[in-house]
Amino acid sequence: MAVVAVVTFLAAYILIATERIPKMVTALAGAGVIVAVGVASSHDAFYSHETGIDWDVIFLLLGMMIIVGILRQTGVFEYVAIWAAKRAKGSPFRVMVLLVLITAVASAMLDNVTTVLLIAPVTLLVCERLGVSPVPFLIAEVLSSNIGGAATLIGDPPNIIIASRSGLTFNDFLLHMTPIAALAIAVLVATLPLLFRGSFQGDPDRVADVMALNEREAIKNWRLLITCGVVLTAVFVGFVGHAALHIEPSVVALLGAGVLVLLSRSKPGDFMPSVEWETLLFFAGLFIMIGALVKTGVIGQIAQAAARATGGDSLTATMLILFVSALLSGVVDNIPYTAAMSPIVLQLTQGIADPVQADALWWSLAIGADFGGNLTAIGASANVVVLGITMRSGSPISFWEFTRKGAIVTGVTILLAAPYLWLRYFVLAG
Amino acid sequence: MWTRRSALDAGCDAYAGGVHAEQMAEETPLVDLDSSALAAARLLAERRLPALVVTEADGSPHSILPASQVVRFLVPGYVQDDPSLARVMNESMADRAGEKLVNKRVRDLLPHERRELAAVNYDDTIIEVAAIMARLRCPLAAVMRDGKLIGVITASRLLELALQPS
Repeated sequence: MAVVAVVTFLAAYILIATERIPKMVTALAGAGVIVAVGVASSHDAFYSHETGIDWDVIFLLLGMMIIVGILRQTGVFEYVAIWAAKRAKGSPFRVMVLLVLITAVASAMLDNVTTVLLIAPVTLLVCERLGVSPVPFLIAEVLSSNIGGAATLIGDPPNIIIASRSGLTFNDFLLHMTPIAALAIAVLVATLPLLFRGSFQGDPDRVADVMALNEREAIKNWRLLITCGVVLTAVFVGFVGHAALHIEPSVVALLGAGVLVLLSRSKPGDFMPSVEWETLLFFAGLFIMIGALVKTGVIGQIAQAAARATGGDSLTATMLILFVSALLSGVVDNIPYTAAMSPIVLQLTQGIADPVQADALWWSLAIGADFGGNLTAIGASANVVVLGITMRSGSPISFWEFTRKGAIVTGVTILLAAPYLWLRYFVLAG
Repeated sequence: MWTRRSALDAGCDAYAGGVHAEQMAEETPLVDLDSSALAAARLLAERRLPALVVTEADGSPHSILPASQVVRFLVPGYVQDDPSLARVMNESMADRAGEKLVNKRVRDLLPHERRELAAVNYDDTIIEVAAIMARLRCPLAAVMRDGKLIGVITASRLLELALQPS
């Protein structure tokens, strides 16, 4: 049974990585094999938190997708982006910095793909007005979205998976991930002039075109915007207080979505298209395949081998997880990677007496998986989406053009994260 | 008030064995794939045409270029992805929309995937012409006889004939 579980998972992983078959189909097919052959029962698949579908992850994603689906109708992202471009007084570099910061903050609250889909059209508009190529701006924004998404529990799916498996709270992510994500964004901004040298030569005569944009017209429904603001604030408070209130983030998200649907009087047709059912089903299938590896003891054996390889040293394990995660996440989808690594890390942490050092393993997995998404053009879904947008807009980005920039940023941010982890959890924590 | 179905039926009853595509057809200016896009757009605008027939180099019909397709070409891709951005742009930006057609050919305006040509035979009935237009969502059908284009039928021409009292 262990062999079946391993072969099924590896075959599915390869198919997901090569994208020969839609990943939802692959994940569901793999899960189907697992259940049909009897590696896992329906109880294992549907009702077990250790070996089955992680419903907290599924419903947290569902709730946030609905909330974002309503929020994007307000036009608030376009308003903020155009407002920022006008504040930059048409300076291409200042525009890029502001859009990078806006993308980072938005990514911390929304999923990265949605953030990129929202920021890309207005970026194309502003760049057209400025008379500059949009390519450097879009690359910078997607790099920022992958880093910014690491800041919170809800910012990136790997974080959601890690939180569910580890029991870490929304506040834990604010305390431990937000600082390193903020530092990484600061470093990204500092490297922008070098990364995109020569990309900031705009036409001074076209500044007036940017200043002529009317950002207030981007807001389609002020009442809806205010409603969304109130509900989102409540949801954020719910996330911060979920441990004290004993309400899971998934329940907070679902309640927030329900309240927002009622207050906004939105029809299902308005927000349901934003629910990515393929993504949710992909997660479900993935969890069943990973659960089979847990149930058959494969995960346990890998964890024991990893513990032996690191000599039981938590610092070595932390650094190894960080660098391996960054490398692998840049090459294959970081979601199945994180889903597979989480139970392994869980077992490793159970062998570490110091809880602070045990948590360091989770943070290194989160940082490696999130930041590593910048390594190549296929390292994260947001990267692929941006490449598609640039192709349609007539300014295609090649795989290597993106990867050249992404590799530099990944290298810098991971090298920044390594001493952060060492100092915070092994030197200063003592 | 006639419903659309009864109007067509009335039209068919009145024209049973009567008007066919050849008799409904009208003349139309033609453009070829390498004609100037700006010139084609001006043609559509000045004559208020719903579409143009685009021909190959040898004169055979290639496709239909609806006016809406030209309008779509003028709308920036980012506005099509995010229609709310149309509201933030001022009128002076709209004035420059036509600049997109400069140095473009008619083939640049057509969709990447070639669509089925909305063509009818010279002896097709009014219903058959209507069916082609409805299926292909095309405002104009090319009338063919022996492989040659002999004219076009516009949607408004078809409606004019269909709604005539018997």
